[in-house]
Amino acid sequence: METFINPKSLFHLLLLPCLLLYSSIAYNSSPVEAAMHTNNWAVLVCTSRFWFNYRHMANTLSLYRTVKRLGIPDERIILMLADDMACNTRNKYPAQVFNNENHRLNLYGDNVEVDYRGYEVTVENFLRVLTGRHETAVPRSKRLLSDEGSHILLYMTGHGGDEFLKFQDSEELQSHDLADAVKQMKEKHRFKELLIMVDTCQAATLFNQLQSPGVLAIGSSMKGENSYSHHLDSDVGVSVVDRFTYYTLAFFERLNIYDNASLSSLFSSYNPSLLMSTTYYRKDLYKRRLEEVPVTNFFGSVMETIHTDAAYKALSRRNSGRFEDEMSLDQSVHHIKRRMLIKVNDGDEIHDINPEGEEGASKCPWSTFRNKFQKAENVDSLLNYGLVAMIPLLVISTWLVQ
Amino acid sequence: MVLLQRPHILLLLIDTHQFLQCWIAFGSANEEGQQQEEFSEELLVKPLPDHKLLAHFHFQSSAPPSTSNGCHHHLFPKAISQLVQKFRVKEMELSFTQGRWNYESWGGFDPISSSNAKPPGVELWAVFDVPQHHIDASWKNLTHTLSGLFCASINFLESTATYSTPEWSFPPASGNVRYGTFPCEAVCTENLTPWLRLLPCRDKAGIALLLDRPSLYRGFYHSQRLHLTSTESSSEGIDSGIILEQTLTVVLQPNSERAIEVHASEKHVQPSWSLSSIFGKQVSGRCVLAKSSSVYLLLDWGLVAELKFPNKENGKSAANGLTSENFWSNPSFELSVNPDRIFLEESSSHSKSLSILYMFQVEKYSESEPFDIGLMWKVPVAWLCQQTPLHASRFFMGSGNERGAIAISLKSTQFTEGFMSANSKDGSCELRVDVFQVVPWYVKVYFHSLRVFVDQQPRAVSDFIEKIHVSPSKDKMSPGVMEVVLKLPCRVNTAALTIEFDKGFLRIDEYPPDANQGFDIPSAIISFPNFHASMVFLEDDSLNRSPLLSKFQHNQMHSVCTILWIIAQCAAKACC
Repeated sequence: METFINPKSLFHLLLLPCLLLYSSIAYNSSPVEAAMHTNNWAVLVCTSRFWFNYRHMANTLSLYRTVKRLGIPDERIILMLADDMACNTRNKYPAQVFNNENHRLNLYGDNVEVDYRGYEVTVENFLRVLTGRHETAVPRSKRLLSDEGSHILLYMTGHGGDEFLKFQDSEELQSHDLADAVKQMKEKHRFKELLIMVDTCQAATLFNQLQSPGVLAIGSSMKGENSYSHHLDSDVGVSVVDRFTYYTLAFFERLNIYDNASLSSLFSSYNPSLLMSTTYYRKDLYKRRLEEVPVTNFFGSVMETIHTDAAYKALSRRNSGRFEDEMSLDQSVHHIKRRMLIKVNDGDEIHDINPEGEEGASKCPWSTFRNKFQKAENVDSLLNYGLVAMIPLLVISTWLVQ
Repeated sequence: MVLLQRPHILLLLIDTHQFLQCWIAFGSANEEGQQQEEFSEELLVKPLPDHKLLAHFHFQSSAPPSTSNGCHHHLFPKAISQLVQKFRVKEMELSFTQGRWNYESWGGFDPISSSNAKPPGVELWAVFDVPQHHIDASWKNLTHTLSGLFCASINFLESTATYSTPEWSFPPASGNVRYGTFPCEAVCTENLTPWLRLLPCRDKAGIALLLDRPSLYRGFYHSQRLHLTSTESSSEGIDSGIILEQTLTVVLQPNSERAIEVHASEKHVQPSWSLSSIFGKQVSGRCVLAKSSSVYLLLDWGLVAELKFPNKENGKSAANGLTSENFWSNPSFELSVNPDRIFLEESSSHSKSLSILYMFQVEKYSESEPFDIGLMWKVPVAWLCQQTPLHASRFFMGSGNERGAIAISLKSTQFTEGFMSANSKDGSCELRVDVFQVVPWYVKVYFHSLRVFVDQQPRAVSDFIEKIHVSPSKDKMSPGVMEVVLKLPCRVNTAALTIEFDKGFLRIDEYPPDANQGFDIPSAIISFPNFHASMVFLEDDSLNRSPLLSKFQHNQMHSVCTILWIIAQCAAKACC
């Protein structure tokens, strides 16, 4: 009896540290701040109705075009347009929306996807999108499916005032509503960083109540100031763009997807005399220095491409990885396999730019080990190493039992 | 024990087992593919009497019934098959329309207008294969899914105040049908984008390449329609086959400045047009995944009667001379491309001349040699399109914002005589008219005040109404539905139905944000079940069955519908 008990306890003693090792990696119990930036989302809202508010639609569509051009796909853009300008009967150029009187760019294009349109653009739907509290029937394309690694760009334009933004002439979004929604988002880990950009009159007052960390906000004018339209297009008959958005676009049109322009260069490009208002940005809640943050962190989606000289690994190895999943002996190993597979599928979106991670590397050998895990390219060999490592343990345990 | 000591061998065995299983399953799926998925694309162009042009795009995808769960699609859009499986949809039609179909100029008694003249905004009806008490929940989920899929506010149709259950007005009359329409929905590029994504070649190749957005939305009438039917599944484990039909009907004005050539002397010649002048693009080859890809040019029998075809009198015997030069180059017009085949309408019971259909195969063309059909008119031609048996219109009566009356007026057209003589039996003939009308709850109609006027004389309701089904509205809960079968004498000149209403009280939050534009009342649907708008074309080649032409032939099931639309202008003054 004594000889029977001891090998068993020895077996458990050997296995336990391995389990602890794998489970801690698997569950990745790192705090949210160290979560990696994995994807970008954009929520673009135009809150104005009626033909004479054409410029608000053009503002939003200009941002939509910029954000798409710099890499964010339609699946990660929530576009809310309160009225239809392109196919409006008053539009002399059907299915076309311009933001400049030279009519060089058709913002509407051929592939626009509007998620919320017309009467659906309400304060309630806007807050539901932000907080993710929808009815069960609401389809995925209308939900903001962000997670703790998302950078979200929230752009709103329309008519606003002191601590409020007007929705379709019938409702208001107040600054504390917005702050509350952002707070809920933070609690639910729905974003890693959030950039709010507002182009309305007295836009800066909308951020007065914000308190959540990781939020950067920029408004086109301060309290008591109006935001003005840029120019009138006598052909279309209305003003076609607002000044703040016009100069924002002028900045982005010079960029392509690989440029490294930083947020501080964007913010310093605004000239108060040209805008006829003072842009205000609120960065006390944002920990990183603006000179180090590229604009594509919010306005685009730059994917890291890893060049491999060899041919891409054949599909059967991946299949075998999946089949191994189903009958794995160890539950935590199963978890780590799944997580590693998912990571590789999103592998091309993992950003290497993570200053905190790299700073911490020298201090903590544990995080270097973890980083090596995360940066591993060949997951299948890693799995195999793990399994091979388990084999001697099994051999020893069975020998001991015998 | 040996296996446990060698976990690698265990893994390897299970690995190969799984791999073999997967391979066998895949192989067997291929073996069972006797019925393949098919896709065909067609375009029909038809000149209209008022110098406009009708372009009708028809895309059809079909998926055969499959035995495996989670079937493998290579042509059929997965979004649609998932929708059908999840909500157990037997038949569904969704249309997005902008503009009014001008029945007087563009006709109403041909296969295209009878199925493609739709009410403006969004119209959705669906038949479900679920128990009666589940249908409303399925409808609600379906509206949400479609709103996400097509970037439209179809989800507003989920509320019981917007949809209705017609009993026998709809062709698949079963009681499981739900009908909803949202008249003030805008239709623009964002609705076309996902609709085109359902096609295998998107808008990058084939006939869909012609869809230049500004040209489409500049038209006078524009309607994109999606119709799907799922065939009966015989057993539980088999997923049903689905036929998806997507059509886009546009009425455009050929831009006379960009026309090929216009004779300066004749001022009233119809503007010449070509596909490149209308759409700004040419068809550079077919979609390689399409089983058939063709373009048709239809000359209505009214037009053929006016044109001077040398062999016109021969009629049927001209079948021999179908490929002769006469049919595409004659003193009245000239085609820029020679057609590959010419079809003559088989026979027409109500007209003396026959329609002609020219067919052009797109397979022969490629990027280096793109396809562009053009028609040049040489002499002014004026003709009339076949009209519906009675011309219908709807309007409001009364003044002020508190009360009024809705009137539906039916007038005979010059073609009515021809209909009646063809339809008379035993000397006394009756014209059957079906009326289906839905009004929102805030237009509170009084069904007891329904009056019938025939030839401008008030008559007893029971004399002319054979069947009536009424579902009164409940405040904020359900709309008012009225289905009427009228039997009018064949020689009727005019007939009218009037019904009085009071305007309901709306709270301030029930008004839309742009209440100054008034309220849109959904269109009524008037149908003539005894008439069949079909065109049968001689098809000797049974292999070459075109889905579009078969739709023409089988239009006997659908009756001619006249669809109307009205904005309640008087209600507009009631607000704010």
